[in-house]
Amino acid sequence: MKNWIEAFSVIDYISIGILLTAVTLNAFKSIESYVKAYTINSWLLAGLIAVVAVLVGETHLYIAALLTLATKGILIPLFLRRIVRRMRVTHEIQPYIGNSLSLAISGILVAVVYASLKDGIFVTGFSRNALQISIAVILISLFIMITRKKALTLVIGLLFMENGLFLAGFSLTFGMPTMIELGMLFDMLMGVIILGIFAVQIKRAFASADLDQLTVLKG
Amino acid sequence: MIAILVIPIVTAIICYNIWNPRVVGYVSLAGVVALVIAAFPVITASFAGPVSALNEAFSMDALSGYVMSLVIFLSLASAIYSISYLDHEFEAGLTNPRGVRTYYGLLHLFIFTMLLVTMANNLAIMWIGIEATTIVSALLIGLGFHKRPLAIEAAWKYIILCTVGITFALLGTFIAYYASTAVMGTEGALNWTVLRGVAYKLNPATMKLAFIFVLVGYGTKAGLAPVHNWLPDAHSQAPSPISALLSGILLNTAFYGIMRFVSIVQPSTGSAFTGNLLIIFGLISVGISSIFILVQDNYKRLLAYSSIEHMGIISLGVGFGGPVGIYGALLHILNHALSKPLMFFASGKIQARFGSTNIANVRGVLASMPLLGTLTFIGALSLSGTPPFNIFVSEFTVLKAGVDRGLWFAVALFLVFVVIVFYGVLSGFGKMLFGSPDESTMAPSAHHPQGLNLGRVLANGVMILMAASIVMLGFKVPAIIDTTIKACVLVLGVK
Repeated sequence: MKNWIEAFSVIDYISIGILLTAVTLNAFKSIESYVKAYTINSWLLAGLIAVVAVLVGETHLYIAALLTLATKGILIPLFLRRIVRRMRVTHEIQPYIGNSLSLAISGILVAVVYASLKDGIFVTGFSRNALQISIAVILISLFIMITRKKALTLVIGLLFMENGLFLAGFSLTFGMPTMIELGMLFDMLMGVIILGIFAVQIKRAFASADLDQLTVLKG
Repeated sequence: MIAILVIPIVTAIICYNIWNPRVVGYVSLAGVVALVIAAFPVITASFAGPVSALNEAFSMDALSGYVMSLVIFLSLASAIYSISYLDHEFEAGLTNPRGVRTYYGLLHLFIFTMLLVTMANNLAIMWIGIEATTIVSALLIGLGFHKRPLAIEAAWKYIILCTVGITFALLGTFIAYYASTAVMGTEGALNWTVLRGVAYKLNPATMKLAFIFVLVGYGTKAGLAPVHNWLPDAHSQAPSPISALLSGILLNTAFYGIMRFVSIVQPSTGSAFTGNLLIIFGLISVGISSIFILVQDNYKRLLAYSSIEHMGIISLGVGFGGPVGIYGALLHILNHALSKPLMFFASGKIQARFGSTNIANVRGVLASMPLLGTLTFIGALSLSGTPPFNIFVSEFTVLKAGVDRGLWFAVALFLVFVVIVFYGVLSGFGKMLFGSPDESTMAPSAHHPQGLNLGRVLANGVMILMAASIVMLGFKVPAIIDTTIKACVLVLGVK
C-alpha cells in the first residue's frame, strides 16, 4: 500500500485536486455548484489526511481524517444545502468582475505563491507541493470572498480558506493533537451555523441576500 | 480551578430555562457572585506562582490572574447593570421573555469563553477560546433581542472579519508549532510553559513569520487599525452591557494572546522586530481613531473609536517595551477596563432617556439627570486623558517608556494624536452634558419610571463604584495592583 502511494505520487494528485476545486469557484454561476465544489474539496482533504495516515501509521491521523470527513464532508454541506433551499435565493452569483478575468487572476495568484515559496522556507513533512497549494487555496478563497456579493458565497469562501489552512497545518506539522483538532472543528461548525442563521436574517431584513445592501454603518 | 469554567456554563443553562424575565437577572447575578467566590482563591494563588490543572492543560500565572480578575470584575458589573437595562427594554416592549433568557444564557457563555482564553496554557486552546468569543458575542450583538437590521449588519461584519482574521492567527499558531517541533523533535509543544523555556532556541525566521500572522489575526480581534472596521459597528449596535464587555475586556483578551506570543518570539528574534511592528500598529490605531473621534456624531461610535485609540496606546506600551512600557500597558488595560464600561453603561441610560444615539439630539444631561451626568463627566474626563484621572497616569507611563528609548518621532506623533482625541472626546460629550434639556426630544416618560427599584439602585451603585476607582487610581496606584502588575511584567520575561 505504502509503495503504491509513493509510486503513483497519490499525495500530489490529491493536493492538485484540492487546488483545482478552489480554482473552479471562479467559473461557477450558481450557489449549488459552490456547495458541491466545497463538498468535493473536503472529501479530498479527508482523503489526503487518510493517505498520510497510512504512510505514517499514526492513529491520531486516522481519527483526524474521520473527523474532517464527518464535519466538513457531510455535516456542513448538508447544512449549507438546507440554507440555500430555505433562502430561495435566485442562485445566480453576480460577481463584481467577469469570470474569465477572475480565473486569470486566480492563475496569477497560484503563480505568485509558487514563485515566492520556490526555495521552500519549510522542509515539509510529506510533499513538496502541499504548502504552496494550501497558501494558494487560502489566497484564492480570499479573492472569491472580496469579489462575490452573495452572503453565502462569503461563507463558502471562508470554508475554503479554512480547508486551505488545515492543509497548511498538515503539511507543516502532521496535524495537531486530536483534542485540539476536535475543538477547532467544533468552533468552525458553530461558526458556519451562526453565519447561516445570519445569512437568512439578512435575506429577511433586507429582502435580498446581496451584501450591497449592508452599507448603512460606516464612518 | 475547573470550577471557574463549570460555573458560567451551569449558570447559562439555568438562566436559559427560567421564563420569568424579572427573576432571571437575579439568578444570573447569583451565578456571577458564585464565580467570584470560586475564582478568588485561585487568582490570589496565581499572583504568587503558577497554578495548573488537568495535566497542565490549564495553567495560570500572574498575567492570567490579572486578566481573569478583570474579566470577572466586568462580568459582575455587566450582570448587575443588565438587570435594570433589560427591565427597561422589557417594559418598553423592545424584547420578550424569550429574548431576555436567551440574552442571559449567551452572556454567561460569553463569560465562559473569555475565562477559557485566560486559563489556557496551550496556545491552540487559547485560539479556540478566542474564536469561541467571536461566535458567542456575534449572537449577542445580532440576535440577542434587537431584531433590527442594523444589528444584523453589524454582527455579520463582525463575525466575517474576525473569523477571517482569526484564521490567520491559527496559521501563525501552526507555524509556531512547526518551529517547536524542529527544536523538540516529533513531540512538538504548544504549551506556553514549555515554549517559554525553549524560546531562545526556536528558529528566528519561522517565528517572525508566525508573529506577523498572529499579530494581524489577533490584532483584528483586538481592534488595532487598519483591521478595526468591525469594531465601531459592533460596539454601537450591541446592547450597552455587551458593548461594555466587548470594549472593556474582550479586546484585551485578544491582546493578551498577542502579549503571550511576543514573549515567546522575542528571545529568538530580539525585541526590535516585535517592538517596531507593535509601534506601527499602535500609531496607526491612535491616528485613525483620533480623526474619526473628531468628526463623529454618534456617541456610541465615538466611544467605540476611543476603544481603538486605547488599544493603540496599549500596543504602543508593549511596543516601546522595557519594564516601564509593559507596566504602562498593563495599567492602561485596567484603567480602560474601568472607564470605558462606565461610559457604555452611562450611554445606555442616556439612550433610554433621549431615545437617540446622536450627539446632536442630546442636551443638558447634567441638568436633567445630575447623578448620571456627573458619572458621565468623570468618565469623559478620564477617557480623554485629563489629569489627574487614571488614564492620564498610564498614558504618561507609556509616553515615558517611549522617551526612555529615544523614539522621538513616535512620541511626537503619539502626542499630537492624543491632543486631537482630548479635544474630540471632550467636545462630543461636552455638547451632551451641558445646556438645558429640550423636553420635546426626550422619550415618553412611560418608558422611564421614576420610582426606586432594586435593579436601578444596584446599577447606580456599580457605576458610582467604578467612577470612584477612576478618581482614586488617578492619585495613587494601590500597592496590591502595583505588585501584581510588576509580577506580570516578570512573567512576560522583561527585566
